[in-house]
Amino acid sequence: MSDALKKGIETTFRNSSVEAPGKDRVMVSVPPESVPTVLHYLREKGFDHLTMVSCVDRPDDGELEMVYILSSYTNDPRLHVTVKARIRREGGGVETVKGVFPNAEPYEREIHELFGADFPGHGRLIPLFLEREYDIPPFRKDFDSRKYVEETFDSIPAVEGD
Amino acid sequence: MDRNQISKWLTAPGKMAHKYSLNAVYFCTGCGIIEIPPVITARWDAERFGVIPVATPRQGNLFMITGYVSVKTLKAIIRTYEQMPDPKYTVGFGSCPINGGMYWDSYNTAKHVDKYIPIDGWIAGCMPRPEAVFIGVTHLWTLIDKGMANGYERYRRNYAQYRRNQEMLFGDLGWPPRYPIEDGGSGGGK
Repeated sequence: MSDALKKGIETTFRNSSVEAPGKDRVMVSVPPESVPTVLHYLREKGFDHLTMVSCVDRPDDGELEMVYILSSYTNDPRLHVTVKARIRREGGGVETVKGVFPNAEPYEREIHELFGADFPGHGRLIPLFLEREYDIPPFRKDFDSRKYVEETFDSIPAVEGD
Repeated sequence: MDRNQISKWLTAPGKMAHKYSLNAVYFCTGCGIIEIPPVITARWDAERFGVIPVATPRQGNLFMITGYVSVKTLKAIIRTYEQMPDPKYTVGFGSCPINGGMYWDSYNTAKHVDKYIPIDGWIAGCMPRPEAVFIGVTHLWTLIDKGMANGYERYRRNYAQYRRNQEMLFGDLGWPPRYPIEDGGSGGGK
């Protein structure tokens, strides 16, 4: 299955690179503009479940790596496909996939909030978890959490007179 | 009933009633709440100690903060605490409300809960066993007996400071409305 899938993706998407690191794993690296198309193609191939959308901060390359993990209820359930796309760290964005998988919406909101990536076409990138404004999105690697804690929480004085 | 407690019932019936009717607000904060279902159900049956969970803060007088307090949760904790009727007792459960615990450098966790609301007692541990809850409850009885579980009085007395700390974290709190605060930190609000 994974060999046939690898060949199918490679012939359909010329600018993608596919590797199969394990028996049940297929990893696809694509440019960000073709992410919805690739996910749509995979959904038609039977990968009907978007397990999760994640993000990796790569400050050395100046890039954010979006990771989409798909699995299947109809195919072999052990087979997972990982789709990766790299976007620029500052001002980069990848088009929303909530038209393909509606459950991507909260994932994209979360990544927008915690990593600062933009999702054009999402339309509802409002705060999800956080209550405060952060200068740097808190999941980026250059966010100094110790310094932030000292400035924000440790600077609040204890209540005296108890 | 213990025979030598009869004098206590006669001299301070209010305190005794408060001691044996601790209605815990069933407010789930963080992971420590997983210890509360065994506490209130058959195995450790907290009702032997007069502790029962209640559904709404307006019926409760014991507030256990059971785990790490994220900033969003702290807002809900303040709202819940303000809705509870006096006398109300607050217990920090686990190491996270004490000083942040393993979230000591987290970007979104309030580290010292006693900077924002008054705490009457702490139960240390990560996480405390259900037995520790009962030890905490019996300690709280002693504190109530001696009049030392006075967090709600301290909250009124130092309301200006507590409110200042809350607003340092949240900016403007929409609710509860500000009580009249006198300048100087202490003495206001009562």
